[in-house]
Amino acid sequence: MNIQFKKGILELCVLVLLNQKDRYGYELVQMISDQIQISEGSVYPLLRRLTKESYFTTYLKESNEGPPRKYYQLTSLGKERLEALTAEWTQFSQGVNQILKEGGNNE
Amino acid sequence: MNKDQFLQKLDTLIKVLPPDERQDILQDYKEYFLLGTEAGKTEEQIASSLGSPNQIAKDLLASYHVDQAANKATSRNIMRALWSVIGLSFLNFFIILGPVIVLFGIVFSGWLLSFVLCITPLLALINLVSELAPFQTFDLFISFILCGLGLFMIIAMVYTTRKLFSLLIRYLRFNISFIKGGVKNA
Repeated sequence: MNIQFKKGILELCVLVLLNQKDRYGYELVQMISDQIQISEGSVYPLLRRLTKESYFTTYLKESNEGPPRKYYQLTSLGKERLEALTAEWTQFSQGVNQILKEGGNNE
Repeated sequence: MNKDQFLQKLDTLIKVLPPDERQDILQDYKEYFLLGTEAGKTEEQIASSLGSPNQIAKDLLASYHVDQAANKATSRNIMRALWSVIGLSFLNFFIILGPVIVLFGIVFSGWLLSFVLCITPLLALINLVSELAPFQTFDLFISFILCGLGLFMIIAMVYTTRKLFSLLIRYLRFNISFIKGGVKNA
């Protein structure tokens, strides 16, 4: 998929995953990179940016093994953002699908 | 590249950031290496899946400089922010150029116009003294009106400039989240 495209989508993916439950950075990166080919290092700068924009807050939580992990939690502002992005994405993908379908019928 | 090399490279590249933020960033990547190793990957595998420290640093620095410019809109901060965002990718220069030329054009010509309007009485007086053209009291009268207009325009330009720069900051933020950096082989 087009590279310019994916970065905007990355934000949506992160928001969706955090809407389910609080997650830590590594978990988020793995869940996304399982589905989409991304440069894994770029997720952290994104997480920092979105934290600064108050879309989520972070807290440290002890884990069974190893040092405490940094968890991300969605704020109400983040939820609003998620809704807005989801609506945009749905409209956009429906449009593309429609065009694909019509293109397919002509062949 | 192994873990130490990766972290060291990244650390040198983000030297301009405040120490606590730098620490925080490195901590994130350390955690990432740790969890990756626990999952059975080698340090080299993890480093290569993270992508180049260079691109990560560019991304972090661009965000940082834009935040700085948003907090304190000095010309220096704004130029830095612009420069670091342009540096995100080669083509970004051309994408950013248009909006920036328009913005600086409006700001520059607005200020120039209000300044010239303000000094019109002075110009009328110079004309009176030097007699370059036949002097008319009417000229002086008009020049005072223009001067008043100029003063109002300065007030308007203060607000316009502020507004335009905050728009620029918003555009740069949007640009950062849109322009690659995030993606493999990009």
